[in-house]
Amino acid sequence: MSRRRLETEGLELGGGLEVLLAAALEGMAAGERVEVLTSSRSTALELHGWARSAGHRSVGERMPAGGPYAVEIERGSFARVLAGPLPGRASGPPLRDGELHTADLRRAVDVPASVDGAAGFAPLGAIAELGAPAFRWTFNERDAIWADNVAELAEQGSAAQWDASRDIPWDAARGLADFMERAVSQVMTFIAQNEYAALYVPAAFIANINPRYHEVLLWLAGHVHDEARHIEVFTKRSLIGGQSSYALASTELSLHTLLEEPDFSGAALLLNVLGEGTFLDLLRFVERHAPDAATRAAAALAHRDEVRHVHFGISHVRRRIAADPAQAAVLVDAAERRAGKLTQMSGLSPLLSEGLTVMAAGSLQPAELSDGAAAVRQLMATMEVNRIRRLQAAGFDLRTAQHVSDLHTPNLM
Amino acid sequence: MSRADADVRVGAVAYHPRIVTIWETFLEHFERDGVTTDYILYSNYERLVAAVLAGDVEIGWHTNTAFVALEQELGGEGRILGMRDVDAEFATVIVTRRGEAFDDVRGLAGKRLALGSRDSGHAAILPLHYLAEQGLDAAAECELVRFDTDLGKHGDTGDSELRVIRAVSEGAADAGALGETTLAAFRAELVPAAAGLEVAWRSPAYYHCNFTALPSLDEELAERWQAALLAMSYDDPDMRQAMTLEGVKRWLPGDRSGYRALAEAMAGGSAGAGGSSGA
Repeated sequence: MSRRRLETEGLELGGGLEVLLAAALEGMAAGERVEVLTSSRSTALELHGWARSAGHRSVGERMPAGGPYAVEIERGSFARVLAGPLPGRASGPPLRDGELHTADLRRAVDVPASVDGAAGFAPLGAIAELGAPAFRWTFNERDAIWADNVAELAEQGSAAQWDASRDIPWDAARGLADFMERAVSQVMTFIAQNEYAALYVPAAFIANINPRYHEVLLWLAGHVHDEARHIEVFTKRSLIGGQSSYALASTELSLHTLLEEPDFSGAALLLNVLGEGTFLDLLRFVERHAPDAATRAAAALAHRDEVRHVHFGISHVRRRIAADPAQAAVLVDAAERRAGKLTQMSGLSPLLSEGLTVMAAGSLQPAELSDGAAAVRQLMATMEVNRIRRLQAAGFDLRTAQHVSDLHTPNLM
Repeated sequence: MSRADADVRVGAVAYHPRIVTIWETFLEHFERDGVTTDYILYSNYERLVAAVLAGDVEIGWHTNTAFVALEQELGGEGRILGMRDVDAEFATVIVTRRGEAFDDVRGLAGKRLALGSRDSGHAAILPLHYLAEQGLDAAAECELVRFDTDLGKHGDTGDSELRVIRAVSEGAADAGALGETTLAAFRAELVPAAAGLEVAWRSPAYYHCNFTALPSLDEELAERWQAALLAMSYDDPDMRQAMTLEGVKRWLPGDRSGYRALAEAMAGGSAGAGGSSGA
């Protein structure tokens, strides 16, 4: 039986001695002994109870008058943590010009194709202790949720944060003519309504994603945060001029179906690729025709975020189809199911198209309204062309892309 | 199988809601090990002892005080089936404010000594007994400051010991007795009152709780139950939490060698539960 010594001077229990004892005992095998030396008689007397409470045994003491005092402790036979030993210290993830990037945390380790659906909140690299309660995650397969650049996209989201209270020149939105304020307020309300759906869809997935797919979780949390700010900024813009507007039932109908898509890839197609993709063109249009700098800034900042979301959607869907070509038909089916629920929708709400037309016209003069209407028609055409282009980028052939784009036409989001 | 048909009924005292968690978990272990077991909870140890004597339960999970009382009633020896690792070498400590520790128990004469519940072996009965052995009749020579909370639970709740250390910490007593593992728990939980205290005296070691059956319990059943108890492992992820709550890392077969002092104290009475009263 080997024997060690631990000099503790006057350190007391409750005053740091536990740390020293734990470090000493950690490196010892069950049954090994350590002689703890202390200058404090009180500490020596108290060490026996500490040892037994901690699962060890005190097997002897020396208490000479005046000290120093010694208590011999034998290490107990239990594992302090119910898990295998920690691996030896390694070099740690690399830095790029001093920056620590999320993608580099994985290093050489591949993202596992599937993970334990009962595992808990063990951060990357941590070893989970046994005995934790069983969780029941729904998304435990990499290909169902992954995008190759998800770590980079999550980081870009963090880096591109902005402030809807301070980063918008709100003063500039004051004092528009009534007809214009009414048009802008209606368009802003419509956009804000859509941003709610864009928040609730990823939010509903977050609680079901296996935490081992850390990057997807970070991405979705950022996505939700982006949408929260979009709701905020477009609500603020709709209210700044003192003009109320309608939350239209037809918009609700369309968004309601979006929330019903249970499949992650289906939601990525419908929301990220089709909905937010179409919104890229809408936001660009609003930015170009905004009657004031506040509306312009809000549209520009939201556009920057939506580019990221669309990028994720395309990247995910492309990867999913590449890994399993049968998924293309499943995804088309998701778009068809949504369209099937929207048979009563006939197209863009007149209130929205009128609002966009007035914004593009800049006045209620017939000639300018004619130009405005042409701009809105052009927007619809641009949306369609870009939708097909994005669907092709996501891995659909041209015919399928046209079909899915047609199914989406009555919705913007 | 209904638990009503279990091979063994264990009686225990419900000194905290966690007792249900502990026993619900332990029962799974006994069932896996092939000795179906049920538990019956009592609100105090007097009722538990009566239940063991009446045969309402086959095994009682007794404090040392309850065990000695059981044997006094039984007029003979109970059958010890197991105890926790911490029960096999228990001790009481007397704490003072830092810097006020005494080297000799005679130093406590004339001082205020705080004690826990008068039916607690570790926080009242045994400290008085051992102090008397070492030459201090504390009941006569000290001002006893008693905290008789949770009577019937024999100090299991730790409430009276918390009051003891608060009394010492706040200056309402000069010294106080408590179980050494209770002090370790207060330290681990960073209880503020424990911070300024130090241990001045440690009693000789004695035994605390044990599982006791009547001598009439079927030999083969007793052995199977004991084997299952001893097989319970702190390294079993399904058991760790319940064993932590029970304050055990390893079950031992136990024996009766560590109860003599308490039996003497309870038989003598001078230092026992009927001693002088303070607060």
